[in-house]
Order: sequence, then C-alpha cells, then structure tokens
Amino acid sequence: MRPENYQAVPLGDSNEYEIFIGPNHPGIEGNYALKLILDGDTVVKGTTDAGYLHRGFEKLMEGRLWIQNLAIVPRICVPDPAPMEVSYSLAVEEIMGIDAPIRAQWIRVLQLELSRIAAHLFTFGGHAATTGMYTPMYWGVADRDLVLDLFEDFTGGRVYSIYNIPGGVRRELPEGFLEKLSHLLDYLESRQNDYDNLLFTNQIFVQRAKGVGVLSKEDALEYGVTGPNLRACGLAFDVRRDDPYLIYDQLEFDIPTQQKGDAWSRILVRRDELFQSIHILRQVIAKLPSIKGPIRTAIPNPLSWNVPAGEAYARVESSKGELAYYVVSDGGDKPYRVHVRGPSSMHAVQTLEFLAKGARIEDVAQIMFSLDACPPEVDR
Amino acid sequence: MSLESLNEILNKINTIKITHKHKRRIRVDVKADSLTTLLELIKGQASFLHLSAITCVDWIEDNQFELVYHVWSYEENCLISAHTRIDRDDAKFVTVYDLYKPADFFERDIYEMYGVFFIGSPRMEKFILTEWFGMPPMRKDFDSEAYVQETFNWTEYNPDWLQELSDQGGGIAIKPEDIRLSGTLHNKATHREREKAKKEHVVGKGWKS
Repeated sequence: MRPENYQAVPLGDSNEYEIFIGPNHPGIEGNYALKLILDGDTVVKGTTDAGYLHRGFEKLMEGRLWIQNLAIVPRICVPDPAPMEVSYSLAVEEIMGIDAPIRAQWIRVLQLELSRIAAHLFTFGGHAATTGMYTPMYWGVADRDLVLDLFEDFTGGRVYSIYNIPGGVRRELPEGFLEKLSHLLDYLESRQNDYDNLLFTNQIFVQRAKGVGVLSKEDALEYGVTGPNLRACGLAFDVRRDDPYLIYDQLEFDIPTQQKGDAWSRILVRRDELFQSIHILRQVIAKLPSIKGPIRTAIPNPLSWNVPAGEAYARVESSKGELAYYVVSDGGDKPYRVHVRGPSSMHAVQTLEFLAKGARIEDVAQIMFSLDACPPEVDR
Repeated sequence: MSLESLNEILNKINTIKITHKHKRRIRVDVKADSLTTLLELIKGQASFLHLSAITCVDWIEDNQFELVYHVWSYEENCLISAHTRIDRDDAKFVTVYDLYKPADFFERDIYEMYGVFFIGSPRMEKFILTEWFGMPPMRKDFDSEAYVQETFNWTEYNPDWLQELSDQGGGIAIKPEDIRLSGTLHNKATHREREKAKKEHVVGKGWKS
C-alpha cells in the first residue's frame, strides 16, 4: 500500500531519515509523491513515486473505436488538454493520408494557443503558492476561468472540449466569437502590469526562486528535457518552429529563452510565452475571417471506420514541452497501439530526482512546480 | 549535414532498410543486434541527441515484440524512428541507458507493461503498478474485460430513494444485465439487440417532468 509511511523514519545509525511528501501534501502538484532521504534539511536522495493516477488509457484505447478514443485522450492532461486531441488527430490523419482543411487548421491553432494561456496561468499561481504567495493563485485561476468561458462558447466543454476529430474540427466558431476573444486578449494584456508587480518583479518571490533547481544546458539535453524548461536553459527549441505542424510556419512568433536554467528563469519563459500566444492569437483573429471553406473533410461512418495499416509519430508543443503520439494501425476499426509520450514523463521522474538531490526541503515543492510536470502524463 | 551524408552513415549498418516518410521523418528497420550500433552512430556522428521515446508494440500473431526508438536531432531537425523486432517468448533486450538517459524511464515502463527485460538498465523494478503481480497488462493476450468479469461482481444498486424516483417515473434505474462495458461488447451487439434493449428499458424516462 502507498504511501509507505506517514512519519519520518530514521535510517540506521546515520543522521539520515526518510520522509514521504505527497500525494496530498499542499506543496505538491497533484497525484504523485516524492520519497526523500534527508540529512538535516538537505535532500540526499529523492525518488519519484508515480502511479496514483494510472487508468490504463493506452490499453483502453486498443479496445475502442478510433472516434471513441477522442473522449479518452484529453483526460491524459487536465490543465492542457487541447494538444492531446490535436496530436492524436494529426497521427490518425497522417496514417490515413489526409489533411485537415485550412480553416480547421487555423481553428486548431486558436484552440491550442488558448489552452496554452490557460495552462500557464494555472502554473503561475501554483508556482507562487509553493513559496507562500497565494494571491497569484487566485488571480491565475480567476483569469483562467475567463479562458474556459471561451472554450465553453466554441466547443461546448470548459475543460475537456473533445473538439477535434481526425479530419478537422467538429463545430464552426459561433457568431461574434472573435470579438469576444479579442476583448479577452485586451484584458489579459492589461493585466501584465499587475502580474509583474505582484509576482514577476516581486522581490519576495524573486529571492526565493533565483538559483533554485539549476539545470545546465548539458544536463537538460541529457535528461530529455523539452519545452519551457529547456528554453530556460538557453536552447531555443520549439516544436512549433522546428518541426512545424498545422499552419505554424505561416505565423510569426518569437521563442523566449533565458540563460540561467533555475526556477526563476523557467517562470519568466512561461510569462513571455503567454504574451507570444496572445501575439499568435491576434494574427489568427486577423486572418481567420478571410479563410473560407469547410471545417472538416469527409470521413466514413465513424462506427465502421477502418484506418489503413500504418504508423505515425505526431509531435506537438504543449505548454509542458514536446508531446507526441505514436499510433499504429493494423487496418482495423480500432488502433493496434497508441503510445503517449508526455513531456512530464521526463520532467517528473528523472529530472526531478536529479534536481532534488542536494536541494533544501523547503525548495523541493518549488522545484517540482517550476518543472510544471503533469503527473497523469507519467501514469496514463 | 546533407541528406546524402546522413544516408551514408545509416548505410554503414548492413541489412538496414531506410524509408523516407516525409521531410523530417525517417524510418529505419534494423536487426536487433545492430540497433545499439545504429544509435551510437547517429548520436556520435549525426548529432541525434534527443531520445524522444521508446515504444513497444506487441505483434502477437508474429510472436514478436517490436521496439521503436524515436530519436530527434536538434541540428538537422529530423526524427529517425528505428524499428527492430525481438522474440516474444525470450523477451530480452540490451539497454541504451549509457547512450540516452531518458531510456531509464521508457525501459522501466516497457518492462512493467510488456515484460521485456532490458539487460543493464539501472532500475528494472516496479514503478506504476506496484500492487500488480499478474501478467504484464499491455500484452495483447491480457484480456482486461475478462479480468474485470472474473475479479469483480456486478452488484445491483437500487436504494429506496432511487426506487421512489423510478416509481414516480424518473431516476436512472439500471439493471445489472443492462450494463455493458462500452467499446468491444457494445459493438458486438447487433442493431436489433440494441433496439430491443431500448424498448424494454428506457433510461431516464420522464427525466424532465
């Protein structure tokens, strides 16, 4: 049974003792735990204990129709579900040899970037809360709620939209949606000063976050770190630019980087990325009305839909890093194999164990949150 | 690095089959004993530094496991998927942990879910399924539906308050024999069976009134 112990356990005659933080610890991100061996308040060794959220999704997907799986995939990452749908759809489209219509691709980008904004707002609050600042958490969640309202408006679902299908998207945008989106972006930009004063230039936070959990560029590459965590180490890699999918090659955006690789750099990269997403969404708002056409290609009856035999590896950039779906079809009406490569599977296990070593116990929660790991991506 | 020089490096392996799927995806099929040599070559000579994932596919009809190594190059912006097959009965393979550290996670995952033992991998132990001692569950011959039917009993849930609701024409009284696992079982039911079930038992009848 887990957790294995609830009290600190002294180890032999040494000064070391073992404690278990999580999965219900207030300073932990969710459904995973960390077993720490401490000497005083310095961590000697940390071991990730995952599996609290294992639902066997990869196995479930092998027993369901291609279209039924769309109800499963977004549930793999709660804060940022849109990239999951898009990635799965892209993989199936690649096997079938079809492309979504141009308009659907633009709508997908809109959905992906909105989802990224929502996920980053969530992370700001969580990260700040690990240092004892709770106001950014309330702000972040409240502002994220405005994004979720828009999701409800155009997909019907606040968190799990289940909006994409292989071949396009399910619904056309509602009347007047782009104006609403434009208002929301104006509002988010107007909040920039408030967030900067409260969090990003707040000395109380800066002093706590600087120099914590330092990851060098070499270590980041070695441990397979991707996404904002990698960009905080100074390597400007982004799947959207370097392995472009959808219509990202027609959009202009910068890839924010920082050099230090600590918790402070990581949250700054996310802050800058949020404004890049707003920049992308403004381009979408300007371009989308001029793109006419269908929003999905004709697909066969979903209940008797056989995808030809083949395999595809579809990568997208989620708010956490490189997300990929490896889908294998044997020509049947169900996938033969679906493998989810969640970015957090790298961040939450090996990278976290590496960074926890030598850290002080009060920084452990902050290191976990600064990596922005999403435990269900590990468990699946 | 040009495509030609990359092809030259790949062709150093005998019996390699190279397929260019599109601009940034290359599929290679190699024999199991030359896979680590291939990864060493592309990492050392062609800067494929990032192990994106290792996937295991259970081809039960061929009695083989397929291992797929997805390796990305930050300099070439290209992904090589190296496919190899190993015997299903003697499911052992050599680790690539000394080349790529992320292999630790993926190999542990595959060991747990498929039972493929990676020789030399640092942590061949339980990770997610710490309380599971049966067959590795992702193997195709593990039938999760049969396992559920054998292990758990369907119980009739019909408390008084729900019964009262049903008597008034509402509620969601579902009999155990109506419960079907979605997916496989449901798909097997013929159209006629489904229609019959609908007529016999209307779920949520009079819900709004």
